[in-house]
Amino acid sequence: MSKPNAAEPRDIFFVSNSLNEMGGITSWSHQMARLFSERGHRVHVIGVVPAPAGRVHELGDDLPYRTTTLYAAHPPSVRPVRGLKDKLNLVEQRRRAAREAGMHEQAAKLSALFRAAGPGGVLIVTQVWAMEWVALADTADLTVIGMSHESFATCRKSSRFQRVKRFYKNTDRMLTLTREDADHWIRQRMDNVGFMPNPLPFFPEVPSDRSKKRVVSIGRLHEEKGVDLLLEAWAQTAPRHPDWTLRLYGSGEEEAALRKQAAELGITGSVEWMGRTGDVPGALREGSVFVLSSRGEGFPLAPMEAMASGLPCVAFDVAPGVHEIITDGEDGFLAPPGNIAELARHLDTLMSDKDLRDTMGQAARENIQRFSTDEIVGRWEGLFALVDR
Amino acid sequence: MPDVSVVVIVYNDADRLPTAVRSVLDQTLRDVEVVIVDDCSTDSSFDVAQRLAAEHSGRVRAFQLPENSGAGGEPRNLGIQHTTGQYVMFLDSDDVLEVNACRNMLEAAEETGSDIVSGLCVRLHKDTRNQKRDEWYSWLYSTTRTLESVTELPDLFVWDTLSTNKCYRREFLIENDLRFPKGMFYEDLMFIADAYLAAKRITLIPNQVYFWHVFAKSAVKSVTNRRHEMTNYTHRLEIHRRIDALLEERGLTEMKLAKDVKFLKHDLVLHLRDLPFRDEAYRREFAELSREYLASIAPEAYERVQPIQAICAYLLQQGDWDNLIPAVDTLINRDKVSSPLAEHDGRIYWCDGHFDDAFGRSVLDVTEVGYHEKPVNRLFLRNQLTSFAESGTTLSLAGRITNPLGVIPPGAKLKGELEFSARRRSLQSFRFPVRTLRHEGDTVHWETAADITARLRPLGIVDTIWDVRLALDVDGVRTTTRLTVADTDLSGDPVQVRPRLTRMVADHFAPHVSAKGHLAFRLVSENPNSERVQELITRGVQGKPGALAKTGYRKAKALRKTLTSGDNKLRLYHEVFSRLPVKKRTVVFESHLGKQYSDSPRALYEEMRRQGLDFEAIWSYSGSPKEFPKDATLVKRWSLPYLKALAQAEFWVDNQSYPLKLTKRPETTYIQTWHGSALKKMGFDQPSLKATTRGQQAEQQRSLDRFDRFLIRSEHDVRTLAKAFRLQEKTLLRVGYPRNDALVRARQKEESLGHRERSALAAKLGIPDDKTVLLYAPTFRKAGGRHGRFELPFDVERFADEFGDRYVLLVRSHYLNHVVLPPTVQGRVIDVSAHHDVTPLLELADALVTDYSSVMFDYALLDRPLVFFTYDYDEYVHEGRGTYFDLLAHAPGPVVRTEDDFCEAVKSLDTQALEYATARQEFVAKFGEFDRGDAAQSIVNQFFAQWSR
Repeated sequence: MSKPNAAEPRDIFFVSNSLNEMGGITSWSHQMARLFSERGHRVHVIGVVPAPAGRVHELGDDLPYRTTTLYAAHPPSVRPVRGLKDKLNLVEQRRRAAREAGMHEQAAKLSALFRAAGPGGVLIVTQVWAMEWVALADTADLTVIGMSHESFATCRKSSRFQRVKRFYKNTDRMLTLTREDADHWIRQRMDNVGFMPNPLPFFPEVPSDRSKKRVVSIGRLHEEKGVDLLLEAWAQTAPRHPDWTLRLYGSGEEEAALRKQAAELGITGSVEWMGRTGDVPGALREGSVFVLSSRGEGFPLAPMEAMASGLPCVAFDVAPGVHEIITDGEDGFLAPPGNIAELARHLDTLMSDKDLRDTMGQAARENIQRFSTDEIVGRWEGLFALVDR
Repeated sequence: MPDVSVVVIVYNDADRLPTAVRSVLDQTLRDVEVVIVDDCSTDSSFDVAQRLAAEHSGRVRAFQLPENSGAGGEPRNLGIQHTTGQYVMFLDSDDVLEVNACRNMLEAAEETGSDIVSGLCVRLHKDTRNQKRDEWYSWLYSTTRTLESVTELPDLFVWDTLSTNKCYRREFLIENDLRFPKGMFYEDLMFIADAYLAAKRITLIPNQVYFWHVFAKSAVKSVTNRRHEMTNYTHRLEIHRRIDALLEERGLTEMKLAKDVKFLKHDLVLHLRDLPFRDEAYRREFAELSREYLASIAPEAYERVQPIQAICAYLLQQGDWDNLIPAVDTLINRDKVSSPLAEHDGRIYWCDGHFDDAFGRSVLDVTEVGYHEKPVNRLFLRNQLTSFAESGTTLSLAGRITNPLGVIPPGAKLKGELEFSARRRSLQSFRFPVRTLRHEGDTVHWETAADITARLRPLGIVDTIWDVRLALDVDGVRTTTRLTVADTDLSGDPVQVRPRLTRMVADHFAPHVSAKGHLAFRLVSENPNSERVQELITRGVQGKPGALAKTGYRKAKALRKTLTSGDNKLRLYHEVFSRLPVKKRTVVFESHLGKQYSDSPRALYEEMRRQGLDFEAIWSYSGSPKEFPKDATLVKRWSLPYLKALAQAEFWVDNQSYPLKLTKRPETTYIQTWHGSALKKMGFDQPSLKATTRGQQAEQQRSLDRFDRFLIRSEHDVRTLAKAFRLQEKTLLRVGYPRNDALVRARQKEESLGHRERSALAAKLGIPDDKTVLLYAPTFRKAGGRHGRFELPFDVERFADEFGDRYVLLVRSHYLNHVVLPPTVQGRVIDVSAHHDVTPLLELADALVTDYSSVMFDYALLDRPLVFFTYDYDEYVHEGRGTYFDLLAHAPGPVVRTEDDFCEAVKSLDTQALEYATARQEFVAKFGEFDRGDAAQSIVNQFFAQWSR
């Protein structure tokens, strides 16, 4: 589908929960916004609410596209009405009415923005929560694309599942991260679903030479990232490789507990706590093996970046996105979710064999280019063209 | 050029044509054209088509065949000629396309360059209340996949033979001159076979693309509904022959085999089902046609279909009508045993005869189905109606019930009851005694007369259809049969009935044959006014009052369902039962989720009874309460009495887990006996639990934290189970397992006596004194095999032949698995899986064969030989969840992987007894140090001593 086409410039809107809340979706949407701008499209990134305090991602002031945040402050949250008691709760009723009125007011702002778009305009809704505002707005002249930036399995376990089915059912297209996730959604009888992988965030000129005896992990120190599992696995591998260290990049509320765990496991000496880094390419260049120990993922950026830097990855295979990125046995190794012994065994294999690291690392750098920005922007423009036909 | 052209064919369907065309014009893909081809309809279809063309000029065109062609092929051929799009699809005038179909097909086709893209077809039963849907071979469409050749997926070729759920590259159709055959039914089959074979690439997408509207009650039946016509069958065979020739030409034997399998499973079955209801001439012609074609079917195909399908095909080819007609009964009613079966050389065969034909023997061998192991109440026996007479008020019936393998013994006390019940559930039923029952060897003959007019009182509305069953009582064991109508004449003087409401609607009982071939009755009326009355009633039922009554009924049903739902039971448990006072001296026992009366809870219970303690015992059961103790209160798991008993109990004793969501009151003491030391990773040491989030783990932990006491057999348990369940040190009770007291005592007794004494169980199982008892107790495996059963990793007949003179092998599969033993091994190999409690079996066994089951830890206490038959060790240990220790390094007996090594190990049990003596001692010291034979006693002392009278 990725036809080289000098696409007509379009108006492209991104609508997210917040346009600057720390996390994968914000990085992704601004990367895409920048890429579309470079191709001559008129981009407008919209957030429904401001990012919560302490979770603000600094965007810089040189953005080549417009940004708007609808609410000045987060609107009051309300529970769904359940039973007679809720119906009679007047305070709650008033809050609900106020919220609804507010939603219509914000939706009107959206309508005004959307109506100003030229023909062929596209609206990309990155999260289903934001879709509740979009659904109230006038999108008649736009192609509406709804996205689910997580694996089907993760979504299914959350309250978003029913909302995705409801709000994305009649969009022009719903996009998941992988073909496998799309097939799952289609079997839920969502026949408008396609998929769109995330683009590679960067591709360094010089990859790692994989000579430093260092395993790297990058991610928030949060249970979702499974650093506790990684430490357990490391405790099994480290004694066999006293000259190796594990570098953990990232910070978070779990740090103290994890440090305590490392001490209990007796691996304090071989674990380096690096904190958050602003220089991911640099951190990767200093490593030889990358490890992803998450309990849940969508289409994780960190292993893509690692592969671009020439590192072979070891990961728990927790989502289709993970095995879409890493080919087991070819450019990295996958372990069943939570299987620490297997994760440790794979780390051991790569740490023991420099030749294997080199072969897999080179394969990784080669293979990951199928998600290059050119490739992905081409896919997007192909999709816009398809929906126009 | 449009992206997609859709050829819509129509014949006498003016009403529905616009809907079909609309479904194309409304596609999300805009650049789509419609080519309507009318098969020379006699109604206004063509006018409608022309009107549509005029309304949507440029998007819709209409054409007509000069004369009617009688099938869908010719109109589609003409349609293809007139298409101009890049891709072509077909649509019938009574069906519709899914709104995204064209876009999804086009996207897949352009991305892959496929010649054919195929999507999911959904059959919608339009006249059912909820528009019942079934998906056409959905397993082929579970994921997106691209085939470089149809030979990669023979199932697609043989099963999905529709032409309509597909999108074809137009050039591809033209270059390969793909056309539908003229003037034949099943035109799709031929066309699609040609197309599949010609395609260089085929893509399957999981999206729904085509909605096939099914109208079961329509007046003109479609081709597939008129299949009893011989021409149909002739056409079907002709198409099959042509396709076979295509495959032959290309040397595609694997595809031919797949197609043969489909013929036996599907095509032949469709026609065979009707056979019992056809006359002699029809049968003869049918057999003639079939025999020739069946000769071309590969013998291997018989191995890939269900036994009964192979049996029917074989008997048809042999012209064995006497056995075929009953076999068709089983083809229609899968669970039925319609043949007396035959035992021959220790194997079970479907019927007598054909033993001289090796192929016939292999087809007719049904040993593995396990009929010979089932008691009469678990067999659904064929009951053939042999005579039927009506005399205005009375119904006289006679028949014979098949008696397979003499399951009904000649001297059995027989009783019978004929039961008439309305097909709609929960209405009335009426019973009539069977007057004569006579054992005739292979069959049981019965006859009776039922005074219907006097005794059977239907309501008159709602209960129009009545089913008949015959319940046969064999020495107090009951089995239910249905009356199969074969060649029996059902005409006569219809029996009168007197409906309770009004005789205006019905006054007679008219016999008919149900879809499954069984006798049934319909309430009919000979009263000329009845039609008007019926109409009135129908209006009432379907009108406002009826609708009100129906919604009221449904609401009541829904309410009942919510009241008894799990959520409400939980609420009742927590908000009502848990507020009642705790009843002192009550203990609720449960073993393996209520499935058994066994294990440590049983041993503890029996010790408490032995000591004559004064307490109330409550046992939970989940299946049948039969094997449970009579002197305890029995409650069904998850029933309200069960929940109430748990809420008020002073003690909970269990070996696995009480329902996870039940909160335990602080006043209740939970003694968790657990059910075995661990080799495999357990609890939070399992990868699957490690991968869960903290919230999920906390929920799991809450249920584990209910344990107040947890029994421990060794420090190994402390390092594994206790840690994996995150139990506190103070809950650990280092006393050993009550269930193992018997084993320790058995060993002590053997040592003091100087020889081994066998329990009464040996005699009960019929084990001679001079035979050595070997117990095979493997761990649970996901069932595989031909019938979804656990298959033994060795040839049990070979084992019996080689060792049967010295050994008796007891086989105990895990309670979730099931094994079938051939009758040849009777007396030498015994299935003991049904025994709730394994301990007496361990005590009886002179040696144990296991793999990874925790019985190894218990059996070792007896200090007798163990053999570890770990044929799937690598798979089990590495691909599974991992183990706590290396079995190979610690096993107190030989570890074998192959059947030959297994036999060698069995031969040398005596030498092993000595060779592994030290290893066994170490094993017991390591894994069972606290099992000292007084576990039950010390638990009673600690918790229940004050209850002695």
